Amino acid sequence: MKQFKTILKFELNNLLNNKTFKIVTIAIMVIIAGVMFFPRIKGMIVGDGEGKKEEAAGEGGSLMLIAADASVESSVQEAFKAAFPGYNVQFTSDSIDEIKEKIDKEEAECAFVLKDITDYTYIVGNLSMYDDNMDIADETLLNLYRMKTMAEKGISAEEAEAILNTEINYEVESLGKDQGMNFFYTYIMIFALYMVILMYGQMVATNVASEKSTRAMEVLVTSAKPASMMFGKVLASTIAGFVQLICIFGSAFLFYNLNKEYWGENPIIRSIFDMPLNLLVYMLVFFVLGFLVYAFMYGAVGSTVSKLEDINTAVMPITMIFIIAFMVTMFSMSSGNVDNILMKICSYIPFTSPMAMFTRIVMSTVPWYSIAISILILIGSVIGIGFLAAKIYRVGVLLYGTAPKIGTLIKSIFEH
Amino acid sequence: MQLELKDIHKSFADKQVLQGISFTVESGKAFGLLGRNGAGKTTTIRILMDVFPANSGEVLLDGKPIDYTKTGLGYLPEERGLYPKKKIIEQLIYFAELKGCSREQAIKSIDYWLGRLEMTEYRDKRLDTLSKGNQQKIQLITAVAHDPDIVILDEPFSGLDPVNAMLLKDVVREEIESGKIVLFSSHQMNYIEEFCDSIAILNKGQIALKGDLHQIKHNYRRDKLVVRSAAINQIAAESGLSCTVTDEDTALVRMASPEDKQKIMQMLTSKYDIDEVKVFEPSLNDIFVEYAGEGENQDEAV
Repeated sequence: MKQFKTILKFELNNLLNNKTFKIVTIAIMVIIAGVMFFPRIKGMIVGDGEGKKEEAAGEGGSLMLIAADASVESSVQEAFKAAFPGYNVQFTSDSIDEIKEKIDKEEAECAFVLKDITDYTYIVGNLSMYDDNMDIADETLLNLYRMKTMAEKGISAEEAEAILNTEINYEVESLGKDQGMNFFYTYIMIFALYMVILMYGQMVATNVASEKSTRAMEVLVTSAKPASMMFGKVLASTIAGFVQLICIFGSAFLFYNLNKEYWGENPIIRSIFDMPLNLLVYMLVFFVLGFLVYAFMYGAVGSTVSKLEDINTAVMPITMIFIIAFMVTMFSMSSGNVDNILMKICSYIPFTSPMAMFTRIVMSTVPWYSIAISILILIGSVIGIGFLAAKIYRVGVLLYGTAPKIGTLIKSIFEH
Repeated sequence: MQLELKDIHKSFADKQVLQGISFTVESGKAFGLLGRNGAGKTTTIRILMDVFPANSGEVLLDGKPIDYTKTGLGYLPEERGLYPKKKIIEQLIYFAELKGCSREQAIKSIDYWLGRLEMTEYRDKRLDTLSKGNQQKIQLITAVAHDPDIVILDEPFSGLDPVNAMLLKDVVREEIESGKIVLFSSHQMNYIEEFCDSIAILNKGQIALKGDLHQIKHNYRRDKLVVRSAAINQIAAESGLSCTVTDEDTALVRMASPEDKQKIMQMLTSKYDIDEVKVFEPSLNDIFVEYAGEGENQDEAV
């Protein structure tokens, strides 16, 4: 136990005092600070200028040409000017070719050529993906048409307007989970888990392999028990990973609260920072256990490699399992059905359950005993994989030359 | 104290690496474990240090199975290497703590050893800024700083300049005199001869020869004569003796039996102009080549 503490302290010290670790953490914190302070800084620089700009937009905005029959023009004129406040809406009697030429020369941005109140051609240089002018025009024209038709049928303009503007009252009562709200923190947790496991897993593997390649292992293996070494290293990287995450999320939380009023009612940001406590606890549990499962595997694989160059090839199978787990969860999340059979199975497999079960807890309703079973399997696996990893480590660290095949390795574990 | 390895067997996969290794080491004396590359020395040391267990056989300390929690072991591996990017003092403390020292004990002892090995100026430097010989001295500290009962030194002198070798010799001598069990493994026979009272020669996982070094030398067959003469080629050609000319003026004469010594000596001195004739005293090197080289050489000859 004392040995384990010594190793944990030494490894943790190595990780936390590592220059790259410090630089990366601080850099991310600075970026987060930049993002969180952005609305406030923007407000300070732009300041009063904003209001003037908006006023000017009416005259100074891009030119939109409208060509229409005289019969239609009068009714459309007012409505289009009101519907496109950002544009300088002008009526023209130019022919279609002349209009096209103007748009080509970029004198005008776009044009509506109205044959009738319900029939138009939209002319624009490049049709942007986010161009919603046609939707606005559709609505405006439809409204005009309805008003006009109703007036013809003897309904007064006021009555017609009231009919058209009737809104449906509704309230949502979700008995389960609100997927939209929870989507974001599930997404963040899955992504954080993905990043941290890949980064720190690789770090554990490299750490073990470099001790082997510098032959520091020769002394270590005679000084400490393999289980202490393995658990010490993996726990150290778990703690370091957590310190980093706390720094990142903590700074995000702090900077957000400093700038809360400038962010206004952004629902995404709000949902992230208002994560319920029970979900935070689940997140911690699955995060730690999931991390441990993979870190042990990475450590074990690192011990079978003699040269640092071989690490990437050696850890490939683990990374593949992990990426598959990530993909299954991500696809299920975006499909909206997180309770599909694949996800249910994945919730109990220790390699996939941290992501799969957490996602289901957050985005769906899972009975408590399923969660308990999943966590118990995960805890059992962490212990099992931990000791197996320590055994592989003991055999692996003394093997130099080509990395052993999995079969040989397992055989030699049980020989001892 | 007395360390005893008793009939140790070890195999990896299907390969028999050790086939019944037994030897005894006394405290206050140095023991040399010799053998060619691949003879099983490192495996023997690793079993002795409990890195992995033997398939059968025992490691005994004073007749009882060794208790690794109570017995301090220090090891200088043949494959040297520590943490190249770490400060020397930090890693030395780490290794001493792993061996059970408290931090205070460790620092005190390490400072003593840094001074003893003239390395104090490097205390706060990174390991990879040191020369190879100095790195080796640092590695030696990891083997002795925790004041172990048993010190195992694998090729301790390789890579050291004569001054450092002298320094290390003094340290080794002190360790032996302080009553520790010192186990050497080396190919440099002159050092083994200098320090070790008894040796064991390993060959292909078996002990080919073991015992007190003086005894071994004394018991070595005294059936060769060293003959030095200006007319050595003439002697080799016409005397009818089985001569091996080893030098310009020296030859090794193999006798049918040690009793022929007198007869041959008289014959040589009466017939030829002899500068020197004496019974061949084997060096440890000769003994090693004879016992450890066997088999392998035949393989090579084929």
